[in-house]
Amino acid sequence: MTNLKLDSNWQRILDKIRTWARVNSPWAIHFNSGSCNGCDIEILATLTPRYDVERFGIKLQGSPRHADVLICTGPVTLQARDRLIRIYEQMPEPKFVIAVGSCGLSGGVFHGCYNVVGSIDEVLPVNVYIPGCPPRPEAIIYGVVQLLNSLKSGVSKVGTVAELVEKQEA
Amino acid sequence: METRKSSEKFVVPIGPQHPALKEPGHFEFTVDGEIVTGASVRLGYVHRGIEKGAEDRTWTQNIYLLERICGICSHVHATAYVLGVEKLAGVSAPPRAQAIRTVTAELERIHSHLLWLGVAAHEGGFDTLFMYSWRDRETVMDLLELISGNRVHYSTNVLGGVKYDLDTEKMDAIRRGLDFLEERTHHYMKVVTTDETFLARTRGVGLMTREQAEALGAVGPTARASSVRRDIRIDAPYAAYPDFPVKLITDDGGDLLARFVVRLKELFESYRVIRAILDQMPEGELTTRVPRRIPAGEVISRVEAPRGELFYYIKSNGGEKPERIKVRTPSLCNWGTVVSVAVGHKLADMPMLLAGIDPCFSCNDRMVRINRGQGAQFWSWENLRQYGIEYYR
Amino acid sequence: MSSQTALQTAEELLKPYAMEMIKQEEDFRLDVLLSPDQLHEAVKALHDARWGYLSAIAGVDHPAPVIGEDANASGTVQEKGKESQVEVLYVFCQGAAVLVLRLKVPYTHAELPTVCDLIPSATLYERELMEMFGVEIHGTPVKDRLLLPDEWPEGVYPLRKATIIGTTRSGSEE
Repeated sequence: MTNLKLDSNWQRILDKIRTWARVNSPWAIHFNSGSCNGCDIEILATLTPRYDVERFGIKLQGSPRHADVLICTGPVTLQARDRLIRIYEQMPEPKFVIAVGSCGLSGGVFHGCYNVVGSIDEVLPVNVYIPGCPPRPEAIIYGVVQLLNSLKSGVSKVGTVAELVEKQEA
Repeated sequence: METRKSSEKFVVPIGPQHPALKEPGHFEFTVDGEIVTGASVRLGYVHRGIEKGAEDRTWTQNIYLLERICGICSHVHATAYVLGVEKLAGVSAPPRAQAIRTVTAELERIHSHLLWLGVAAHEGGFDTLFMYSWRDRETVMDLLELISGNRVHYSTNVLGGVKYDLDTEKMDAIRRGLDFLEERTHHYMKVVTTDETFLARTRGVGLMTREQAEALGAVGPTARASSVRRDIRIDAPYAAYPDFPVKLITDDGGDLLARFVVRLKELFESYRVIRAILDQMPEGELTTRVPRRIPAGEVISRVEAPRGELFYYIKSNGGEKPERIKVRTPSLCNWGTVVSVAVGHKLADMPMLLAGIDPCFSCNDRMVRINRGQGAQFWSWENLRQYGIEYYR
Repeated sequence: MSSQTALQTAEELLKPYAMEMIKQEEDFRLDVLLSPDQLHEAVKALHDARWGYLSAIAGVDHPAPVIGEDANASGTVQEKGKESQVEVLYVFCQGAAVLVLRLKVPYTHAELPTVCDLIPSATLYERELMEMFGVEIHGTPVKDRLLLPDEWPEGVYPLRKATIIGTTRSGSEE
């Protein structure tokens, strides 16, 4: 992050604006790290007319560099693991991870298969877990709303600029 | 495949993608200016080791594992598996169970084809059609949920039968749903075959002759669009297809347009077959008893998935767990066709061409690396799609 | 019955190469045992006659029964027994007729000729067979990794029975 030298009052106001913007229009990237596609088609279904998450300002788009939220499905396979980490690292701070589906939560039916590392939280810090095989689109929307609520209320901690600088120095 | 020049190279690692065992692919396209001169494939991003995992699970547990090879055609995987195991065990499911399996399979085909129609249209920049077809697809999702309680992974099959019965109320709901879908499919047929902008992206693109399709081992609608007469439902009928035959749909166009037309026509055929089964639903039991240990032996089970022939080889050594299960998914065959057909086409056609084989392109990010000269440039799938749309604007 | 005649044609085509033929009439299925050096010619005969299409190549592991030592004691792939072999099934289909070419190759000479010069679509199946069972395919056009991750150790073939799931899994942890 930048070395912006603003006093804390300004910083606090800026952080408020950022949170407001983030909560009103989170951009998400979707990544399949070994899923069976069941969760993926349900995530896609949330974009289509019946569920239409875009009315909440949630936008699914392609580049990790523009994303606030990583929606991740499936058990993490060995081949996908490094890619998953790379995509996470490319996302700007602050970033959040939503794990969708039983496999993403625990490995699911694929637990113990030789090419599966395991659940997503073994690889990345996960903020929201959405169970189900696959979860219904309503459940996925609910999960995203839970994340947004926690951001708004401050339960889910969003690093301020000052904190981020500290974290990077550590 | 090995004709690439080192100075002009276009690499398309299509990331961890589709589900079925091994279908996500990483393509490397070599381009000379705008024209693709070579392509190769690397799979394995979603390779989970299911075939090995299946050897470690009991016969019943495997239904649930194999269903999750693919979220889009899960029922058909389970069907291939249970049909094979029932054959090994020397039992056959009661007629009513077979009929319900077939109804679910055809509903799944409808959901899969509508999904594909939307995704393929999306890749071509026709998002209106994407939204409409997915809106209508919710109808069939509702029907599947009505039958099984789940929108995806219906778990209809058990060894020796099915779990869910269809009562008259459900059948009526299915009929109503089909009426609506049939009307909509007529509309899509009209759009796909008459919309000039869309035709410009599909007519004559990805041309594959019958000889090519046969040599490359294409299966399913991709092959049938090149007038290859191959459909397991007709060639070797299983489940309830012997009693309720489907008509073979082929097209001699061989291009992307033909692949659209074939899939849409198959939808009409699915509607007809489901209605026929519902009208003459056999009475009787839903399950029959299957022993816990399956007698030793081996069996080859083939069924027609929405994307083509699905192949299962099941070997038992008489125990509670299978000795070996080999799954060959239809998309694996069709990947090969893309690699060959891509050569000579414009880079801008690639998204449509890839979508044309229906590799379950769900909407996730796929990184594309472009090597033009020395400087490598990273493209996401979205960039490539945009590039294709802009190119044709 | 066209499937029946198809099977008969296949039977006649493969007679010169077969070591043994097993016919299951009711399933329209014919199993043909071949020696590995006859594979290419047998496939050529089918190909020239335009018989069916290659539906799949499946491998089946037949490890020799281990004497004395516990098989689970180590995660090594090499087995001591002499008869450890991989059975490779080339499945051709035409309509309802299924033709299975069965070949057995020992671990020590796990080698087969490619059929890609006749059937280009076999390349993906052959690559899969090489990775999963360690059967070397001579002359196959591409030998790059297809399914297994890039960092997968050489010489570990997951679908061989001796490869224990747990060892490879824990080995992958950082």
